[in-house]
Amino acid sequence: MTAEGVRETPAAAARAGRPLWAGMRLVRLYAASRRVPVALAAIAACAIGLRITLMGHWDTYGAFQLPLLIEAGAAVAITATAASPLGEPERITGRWLPFLRLATALALTVVAAGALAAAGAGAHLAGGTLDVVRNLAGLTGIGLLCAAALGGGLAWVGPTGYLAVGAYGLYTQWHHPALTTPWIWPARPPHDLGAAICAGLVFAFGLAVITTRGARDPAGE
Amino acid sequence: MTAASAPAPPRPLPATRRPGFAAARLLRLELRHNAMPWMLPVAVALFWLTTYRKTMAMPPLWNLRAAGMQSGVVVAFVCPVAGAAAWMGSREARRRTADLVTITAQSRWARQLATWAATTGWAMVGYLGCVGVLYGVTAQQAAWGGPLWWPAAVGAASLPVMSALGFAAGALVPSRFTAPLVAIAAFFALVLSTELIHGSQSYWQVSPVVTGPWDTGPDAGVATFYPYLPDLPIAQVMFLIGLTIAVLGALALPRGSGGRSLRAAAAAITGAGLVAAGTAVGLAGTGKLDDHGMIAIPALHNAASDRPIRFTPVCSHTAIPVCLNPAYASYLAPTAAALKPVLTEIAGLPGAPARVSQGAATYEQGAGNGVGIGLAGPTTSGTPPVYHMLLPDQQLGPTLTTSEFASEVRSTIGPDIVANVIGDGPGASQAQHAVAAALMMAAGLPVHGPAPRTAVTANSLLEPGTPAFAAAQRFAALPAPARHAWLMRHLAELRAGQITLAQLP
Repeated sequence: MTAEGVRETPAAAARAGRPLWAGMRLVRLYAASRRVPVALAAIAACAIGLRITLMGHWDTYGAFQLPLLIEAGAAVAITATAASPLGEPERITGRWLPFLRLATALALTVVAAGALAAAGAGAHLAGGTLDVVRNLAGLTGIGLLCAAALGGGLAWVGPTGYLAVGAYGLYTQWHHPALTTPWIWPARPPHDLGAAICAGLVFAFGLAVITTRGARDPAGE
Repeated sequence: MTAASAPAPPRPLPATRRPGFAAARLLRLELRHNAMPWMLPVAVALFWLTTYRKTMAMPPLWNLRAAGMQSGVVVAFVCPVAGAAAWMGSREARRRTADLVTITAQSRWARQLATWAATTGWAMVGYLGCVGVLYGVTAQQAAWGGPLWWPAAVGAASLPVMSALGFAAGALVPSRFTAPLVAIAAFFALVLSTELIHGSQSYWQVSPVVTGPWDTGPDAGVATFYPYLPDLPIAQVMFLIGLTIAVLGALALPRGSGGRSLRAAAAAITGAGLVAAGTAVGLAGTGKLDDHGMIAIPALHNAASDRPIRFTPVCSHTAIPVCLNPAYASYLAPTAAALKPVLTEIAGLPGAPARVSQGAATYEQGAGNGVGIGLAGPTTSGTPPVYHMLLPDQQLGPTLTTSEFASEVRSTIGPDIVANVIGDGPGASQAQHAVAAALMMAAGLPVHGPAPRTAVTANSLLEPGTPAFAAAQRFAALPAPARHAWLMRHLAELRAGQITLAQLP
């Protein structure tokens, strides 16, 4: 951020003194620093991509693996917003940071789930909306945990690695022995309680960690 | 003469100015500061979960395991390699050092090539380790044959192109979103491009995950009786190398990558790469399923590959020897054990086979991606007669456990051998049906069918309560020597259809 970006008119400075305006400005600046608009665009692109691909004819593998790929795309877009370009100075001064992190991750996940569910509405979406919500939450949770462990820039490593695991889990449903552990939730049916609990736990843990600790900021990045 | 105009003594160039040394030093620096080593655990873990476990569960046949390895390893490495390369490609923009490195002696293209080479090198180290372990374990378990190197070459040629595509995306669009989206896009392109394969004459077979007719999966029947055809792997390697060259050449095309001559050379390299890749795609589209189950490409085909492989079969010590291709030596014991009761029943009878021998499979392209598999040649041939069979694992379907395999042999090959000896078939007499069913009962073969105690032979179905079923039970109840003696005397008449049910003992 340059000094030009924070230059303000006196009227703007007066508005900024009011708590509501200050809060909105903080949210806007936080969202801009985390590239939230780009993430929203990426999520929208995923939803449009899902809608377009659902118009095509896919065999059973494709019908199940395709939504998982797009869910992974949305999840990595969400987790990419965990990276902070400001690092230590922001950590020291930003007492609202944990809430902003929590709100951003939650809001983006809800938006992504809603967009993907809407994209699948009226089309033959294998697994249905429940599958979308479960897989998206789980993948996002993995990404948030990776952001805390590896840094926001490398948060994609977990979800993309897990994508290959999930796609393989789906493949084994036709090529036994099948992987049936609920920790590989994409391979479980949408109403499987164990898989939903595992995905939910990972998401909750990821949210908690990213809220309290934030993404790791590796030196030099 | 002033000091200013005096010729300066020639000073030797420092060691670091030598081009080869400088390139090696740059590469060493890039190797030390590369993200790929941190991705290797992920790639290796994915390889273990999705490829190694699955491949090791297959029978120890080189053809099966090498084909399974090629498909699996490419998918396991694509996300980590493409993502890491994109991450490295965006490094200068991410660290805001683009202006700083612009003034260095090396051109931007040379710097980028060094980073790409380091990323690819690390990926290759992980790949070779994974393949080395898999091939090493298989070498200890396989009874016959040697490693198939073409599948390993296709996998190795896949890594540079994954790395080049990821690197180019990261360099051209340096954003925090580039690496993850490239990783997912690469996975999508690799895994779901196979959805577009219809039949053996498909351009999409050039994808490195394809090892043979799509939708059949790794097949135990190929590359044991006939050599492994390198036609499709050659086209795949050509495509992958061409694409790698084209992408790397394209990196030098933007203004500022180097001088005019460098960019002109890069344009030529890009063009050559595209021509090679396009030619390979065209060649893959001319491929067709050959009789031996592999994709043959006429322009790349070597006729010598159509000659059968010479081998000395491994045989059992049963009453009638069961002989298999040595690659299938591990199947010999369960096959012989499953057939032993039947072979004991028919041994010594006139017309009984002198040997039961494994035959080669022949393949035929069906509609769409369907493939028909049958026995190459007649079931019985030669003097003395040899019965030829296909093992269940030579046919399409899931890999069977040992007990499933034995059960399949007992219930399909056993009845067929009996029918072959008795002459039981669609036009056979009731007595032939009854004797065939009786021999199956005596051999302990499963007597099953839609109704309780219905005898199902290879060619007939005897329902309880019918005279033929009663005759079969009566004949099966005879002592084995009596049954054998009767067959020795009357088998020729029975086969000619001259024996009635009433004449059966």
